[in-house]
Amino acid sequence: MAFLGVYVFVGFGAESFGFEQTADTYYDETNLADGWIYTTNLDDDFVDKVNGLSLTKDSEKKLIVDSIADLENDPDITLHFLQDDDISKFYPVKGEDFNLSDGDGVWLDIRFAEARDLKIGDNITFEFNGIEVEKEIKGLGYSPEHLYQTSDSSMIPDYNKMGFAYMSHKAFPMSDVPYNVLLVKYTGNSSSYEKQLDNDLDRDYSSFMPRAQHPSFAEFQDETEQHKMMTDFIPLIFIIIAMLTLLTTMTRIINNQRTQIGVLKALGFKNRSIMIHYISYGFWMVLAGSILGFILGPLTLPPIMFEEMQQLYSIPYWLTGFDNSFIVVTVAMVALSALVSYFACRKIVGESPSSAIKPKVPKVSTSGFVERFGFWKKLSFNARWNYRDAKRNKFRALMSIAGVLACTLILVASFGCMDGFDEMKEWSYTDINHYSSKLVLEDNATDSQIDHIVEEVDGEKLMESAIEIKSGDVKKSGVVTVLDDNELYTPTDDDKNPIEISDDEISLSKKMAELLDVKVGDTVKWHILDSDKWIETKVTNLHSDPTSQGIVITKEKLDDLGLNYTVTSVISDKDVDDNFTGVKTIFSMDSLTDSWDEMMESSMSVIYLLAAFAAILSLIVLYNLGLLSFTEIKREFATLKVLGFKSKYLRKLLLTQNLWFTTIGFIIGVPLGREALQYLWGTMGDSFYLKATLSFKTLIITFVIVYVVSIFVNLMFSGKLKKLDMVESLKDNE
Amino acid sequence: MSTIIEFKNVNKEYKSGDHILKAMDDVNFTIDEGEFVVILGPSGAGKSTLLNLLGGLDSVTSGQIIVNGNHVESFNDNQLTEYRASNVGFIFQFYNLIPNLTAIENIELMKDIVDVNIDGLSVLDSVGLKSHANQFPAQLSGGEQQRVSIARAVAKQPTMLLCDEPTGALDSKTGVLILNLLQSMSNDRNTTVIIVTHNAILAEAADKVIRVKNGQVESIVINENPKKVEDLDW
Repeated sequence: MAFLGVYVFVGFGAESFGFEQTADTYYDETNLADGWIYTTNLDDDFVDKVNGLSLTKDSEKKLIVDSIADLENDPDITLHFLQDDDISKFYPVKGEDFNLSDGDGVWLDIRFAEARDLKIGDNITFEFNGIEVEKEIKGLGYSPEHLYQTSDSSMIPDYNKMGFAYMSHKAFPMSDVPYNVLLVKYTGNSSSYEKQLDNDLDRDYSSFMPRAQHPSFAEFQDETEQHKMMTDFIPLIFIIIAMLTLLTTMTRIINNQRTQIGVLKALGFKNRSIMIHYISYGFWMVLAGSILGFILGPLTLPPIMFEEMQQLYSIPYWLTGFDNSFIVVTVAMVALSALVSYFACRKIVGESPSSAIKPKVPKVSTSGFVERFGFWKKLSFNARWNYRDAKRNKFRALMSIAGVLACTLILVASFGCMDGFDEMKEWSYTDINHYSSKLVLEDNATDSQIDHIVEEVDGEKLMESAIEIKSGDVKKSGVVTVLDDNELYTPTDDDKNPIEISDDEISLSKKMAELLDVKVGDTVKWHILDSDKWIETKVTNLHSDPTSQGIVITKEKLDDLGLNYTVTSVISDKDVDDNFTGVKTIFSMDSLTDSWDEMMESSMSVIYLLAAFAAILSLIVLYNLGLLSFTEIKREFATLKVLGFKSKYLRKLLLTQNLWFTTIGFIIGVPLGREALQYLWGTMGDSFYLKATLSFKTLIITFVIVYVVSIFVNLMFSGKLKKLDMVESLKDNE
Repeated sequence: MSTIIEFKNVNKEYKSGDHILKAMDDVNFTIDEGEFVVILGPSGAGKSTLLNLLGGLDSVTSGQIIVNGNHVESFNDNQLTEYRASNVGFIFQFYNLIPNLTAIENIELMKDIVDVNIDGLSVLDSVGLKSHANQFPAQLSGGEQQRVSIARAVAKQPTMLLCDEPTGALDSKTGVLILNLLQSMSNDRNTTVIIVTHNAILAEAADKVIRVKNGQVESIVINENPKKVEDLDW
């Protein structure tokens, strides 16, 4: 018990703290920028101005541009042309270190290179804005700005389709590099820095993105939070149950040794040596278990999960974390059990040998409230016996219920996650987006190109642009979706029913409204990331979207607001695989749902692991408590057996109680698990929105696991019941 | 009176390692219906073994035990359970009532194993404890608990009452009350009562006294005029 508690607590803890510490170390080592200032006129004057700000510590300009590599399937590669390599440094793992004076080399994303089987020394060609550059691969590595990489519509990283590349400014074909991003390191927090930027630079830039909003950073941060929540909360339940069970067990073990302690006392052993004997008995076992858990937890659990995470995140190394709470919990476990043994022991040792040698007078059953009702007389003896037994051993009853409850809660929350993923998929890819293909357009696609595409694929135009949106001091990133009589894209309400957005409406997604703390009728300020024109609008209604948060308006409304209508994609209900000029990538609905499924799969192992531990937990709790109660009621059962009761009858007697506790634990555990799940969805990150719902399947699976465990425990005791020696049990006078 | 219980050449051996202990060595006796039988013997004489065999808690090594015409020695576990339920009314030295059930519930519990209509209250009345029906064992005195235990055994209407030192844990005054009750069960209701004890005084009250020693029957004495329990010299 001690082992399992500490093992799970420290193991999961090491994983979640490992996340944090990995990120911190990695960001430190690569000197990740504190903020990114995007602007089109990044001249020396601008840089000087930024450097002149009192809060700025350092800055570095670079050009970040999307390109397509000249390889099969046209993978998207984000190119970085660097002037310096001091902020957000490239992290090389193979080949040469990054060299600023090398104009012929490129340092490539190692995950992309591995997926594409590219080697150091190979040549690779990138095409962007009509420019082609061919370079030799000099090194492979990671970038702190690309921990998490997704392309426009794919939700999970597919290293075959995208990557990044670092090059020196000398590699740029023109002498004048059109830098567009200024990386900054600053002191103080992001909002005070942004304020200074606003005031001193007169908003002479497109947008400022602090770390917290950087997609890669934010995604990993969310993941960390999510893990922390899962691994703070669930192992905590675990350790509490483990501790309580351990403490009950210790007390009972010592109480069961009562007569022996009495004998030892009568024989003249000193109180001290008796106490030392009985305390050390439990102490060493708990200590051994705890230490084993403390060592094995971090060694075995984090690698399992890091392997999953490795598929989602590009990080050169993973650290197993450590936190002082690990030691505190382990020491508390050992100390508490020793303390409990001490008190239990002292109570017995304190008595006179003559009274200690006699067994403790059993607790007396009394008639209570329930017995006064008429229905009591109609209850079977089984029910009456069990009710009184539970009443007489309230603590044991509560512990059993708590064990089942914790198990149910963990199972419901874990399997509920899977339900949620399914629901999001259905909602996002069937109810809202119901096209077959999505053609993502080049930034510079012309109107005539677009019209041609629309005609060819019988498609609809869709504009989805990144925005910044704020209300009061809260600022969030999101997406503005502009509708043009779309039938293949349907905004929905909370119940997933389609809603109509009329020309005078501004619809805000519910999650965004929660994040900004606004209601219908309130005003929000927002701007499209590419332009610095801020707009103030009143929210007229709310829509719900599980994966994309922001604003939905019609094209007419966009015109009214004086913003440019820029089509970003064409959606069609046909399966399109021809390549058109002006199209960057084509996503088929199948590939989108496939990648969604893949993402789900990576969460499975954590879910299964948790479910397994939950089942083990309740198994141990129920068995432990059952074993203790069994030694207490052994004599009663032997009597019943002598009187002619069949083993089956006695088994039923035990099973009934287990099933009661299981049922109560289950009934309370399910809604609590739902609450935990709701909390979990809340920590999923700003872009996710889902109300916790539990599928019938989840309830059935949880029900089956919980009850199977309960019945299994019962089976373990039915063997003992059969072997129960009637003659032997009747001899001792208790 | 007809013979209801018969032990025929009963042997019982316990093995411990290479050593064989003969706990029952060619034991023969009969008990008639309604008899008040006392089985006497010092500690280790084989009293408990005899009781366990007769009560269906243990099986013989060889020999026959015939109860109501049935060969108990040939019963399997299930049949033994059935036999204990319907033929044997156990009365233990330490009463062995179920602490979670009240006096009346302890008695009515027997409905779950025998097909007999049990009116708990009237059975309790017959042992003089009608007013204690709703009390738990822990709330009763030792003598009261033993009376409930007798009521529990009688309620099943078994072939025999099998009593293992029924007064061993009671003071002598209460003990007389209990024995008196058992004797009247035999005399008034024609119930077969078998008492296993080491207390020789009780012999004078028995219809039949079976003395055992070293696993063998030492003597069987039939009292033509058994004394009343209360007239014995305690």
